[in-house]
Amino acid sequence: MTKPDLSVNIGKIKMKNPVTVASGTFGFGQEMADFYDLGRLGAITVKGTSLEPWSGNDYPRTVETPSGMLNAIGLQNDGLDAFVNEKLPFLRQFDVPVIVNVVGQSVYEYARVSEVLGKTEGVHGLELNVSCPNVKKGCLAFGNSPEGIAEVVKAVREVTDLTLITKLSPNVTDVVSIAKAAVEAGSDALSLINTLLGVAIDPWRKKFRLANITGGLSGPAVKPIALRMVWQVAQAVDVPIIGMGGIMNEMDAVEFMLAGADAVAVGTGNFVNPMAAVEIIDGIEEYLASANISDVKQIVGAVGK
Amino acid sequence: MKGIYNCEVIAHSEVSPGVIRSLLHCPEIVRQAQPGQFVNVRVAATTTDPLLRRPFSVHAVYPNEGLFSLLYVLVGRGTALMNKIAAGENVSVVGPLGRGFDLGDSTGAQHIIVAGGCGAAPLHFLSDRLCALWGCENVKVLTGARSKNALLCEAEFISHGVEVVVSTDDGSYGHHGLVTELLQRRLFNSQLETHNSQHIRVYSCGPNAMMREVARIAHEAGVPNCQVSLENNMACGLGVCMGCVQKIKGPVPGDTSGNNWHRERVCKDGPVFNAEDIIWD
Ligand SMILES: Cc1cc2nc3c(=O)[nH]c(=O)nc-3n(C[C@H](O)[C@H](O)[C@H](O)COP(=O)(O)OP(=O)(O)OC[C@H]3O[C@@H](n4cnc5c(N)ncnc54)[C@H](O)[C@@H]3O)c2cc1C
Ligand SMILES: Cc1cc2nc3c(=O)[nH]c(=O)nc-3n(C[C@H](O)[C@H](O)[C@H](O)COP(=O)(O)O)c2cc1C
Ligand code: FES
Repeated sequence: MTKPDLSVNIGKIKMKNPVTVASGTFGFGQEMADFYDLGRLGAITVKGTSLEPWSGNDYPRTVETPSGMLNAIGLQNDGLDAFVNEKLPFLRQFDVPVIVNVVGQSVYEYARVSEVLGKTEGVHGLELNVSCPNVKKGCLAFGNSPEGIAEVVKAVREVTDLTLITKLSPNVTDVVSIAKAAVEAGSDALSLINTLLGVAIDPWRKKFRLANITGGLSGPAVKPIALRMVWQVAQAVDVPIIGMGGIMNEMDAVEFMLAGADAVAVGTGNFVNPMAAVEIIDGIEEYLASANISDVKQIVGAVGK
Repeated sequence: MKGIYNCEVIAHSEVSPGVIRSLLHCPEIVRQAQPGQFVNVRVAATTTDPLLRRPFSVHAVYPNEGLFSLLYVLVGRGTALMNKIAAGENVSVVGPLGRGFDLGDSTGAQHIIVAGGCGAAPLHFLSDRLCALWGCENVKVLTGARSKNALLCEAEFISHGVEVVVSTDDGSYGHHGLVTELLQRRLFNSQLETHNSQHIRVYSCGPNAMMREVARIAHEAGVPNCQVSLENNMACGLGVCMGCVQKIKGPVPGDTSGNNWHRERVCKDGPVFNAEDIIWD
């Protein structure tokens, strides 16, 4: 049998395979380029980028939990100018679409960052992070209501033609209504899920383990929730979905695609196995070949009862 | 280049109660590792709990055999699992990671190593290299522990041929008091007349409170180069998650918030930092 076709499209972004990395778990690619050719990925999604540099939350910022971890980084990043001048030139060397995760404290900031990136060579898509649980202003405040999300997406849509991917929060009662609002406001695609709000306590010191008290849960512990949300949203909207949450290996990735994800992102899995993303690409290909499936798009949403 | 290696576990030995030395085979890591660098070990190969790798400093390298060792305290589940990986089995190791010690670039310097508790682990490798580079007579080790049986690596330091001075908090061995008192004495006594403090370099690893004091003493003595190795909690160990950050003096370029500090990653920008740059809190 010939090699299965692994390519997928997310809006105007042409991915040679359905695997990207989750924002905040891959930095801006430099560190991971020591392990493999970044050009092998379907796309690279970089760390949340804001208009001005953000210094993030106090330390400690991470703690391990059963089959997962909490993080409260608080979106530390050096800001838009540093991204464009210092990080992007490195990423341009690789034959891989770059998706920038955009964060802001106001609708203006989301729109301003998006407008600049829309005119910047080497940026292929924007992932609007309206779902980070770790910052006090902005972000999740927009993502937890249909009105809030629509406001941000509309403002960004007006200033750029780049593919817009809205990243949804699992910390809401009705993810479907929020997904629909994002699509109606002009989002070309959705990604889900961001981390789940949690806390961890040190019983001996009788203190919260994170300086920020609350953090976002990620890793294998969240996979069933993420799968459920991808499946619910996929039935309700017509745009492509990037699924993530606890993907550690190719079978996890296949589950997300069967639930309705057109592509997947590897997050916490990169920490445990820096080669995870490329091993998952190879694994999906082998899965398709052994199941006699010629095109990966055939498995999207193909889950039966 | 750093990589992911399947290393064979050769042996574990208990060097003192609750402290283990594990010997691993990995010629690639042995070739590349610099003193102060660390490796990130996947202690649970087939389960996701514990999920994250565990960071350990490179304690010694044996280039002819392609072996390196780790020296660690059993503190929780991860270190217990590490100690249970049977000899002959493989373990996944990412490394070598981080920025190690700057060993200096000229002869004539006096190198003072200050170790606290299991901070001796990376300093053992450091003392070995400093000796090879600059001669053992120019390297001194000050090492402290809670009590005599908690003291680590004394014999190994001595076997490198360096002078070793010991302190214990409870007075059960060596100087009765803190290792920082040994440093204070050494930097402020008359010996300094023959050794201008400009030529002294201090290297330290241990509890944060101790390193902060080392930094203060070195600063007061006018020592121009004092390096400390930090051990912040890590998720990725690779520099991509921004979890392990330390406050460092000075703003980042482009920061308009008026902050006179910024945060750097201990795993990638460190774990070794110039003590003068650190904001201790
Ligand atoms: C760069 C670096 C080098 C290190 N080198 C050594 C060494 O040579 N010898 C040694 O004994 N220890 C060393 N440590 C500390 C060692 O990593 C921890 O003791 C170990 O991870 C504890 O794991 P555990 O599962 O047994 O404990 P648990 O408490 O169950 O671990 C829970 C979580 O906390 C993290 N953690 C706990 N204590 C520490 C700590 N002190 N520093 C960083 N992370 C911690 C663990 O990685 C894990 O994610 C080093 C730490 C760092 C960051
Ligand atoms: C350390 C860390 C930092 C993160 N930073 C961001 C971020 O900057 N922007 C964002 O949209 N999501 C961020 N996330 C969320 C991930 O992109 C992803 O949605 C989540 O971790 C679930 O996937 P996983 O279980 O595979 O990690 C972060 C997650 C982690 C663990
Ligand atoms: S542990 Fe992830 S950046 Fe240092």
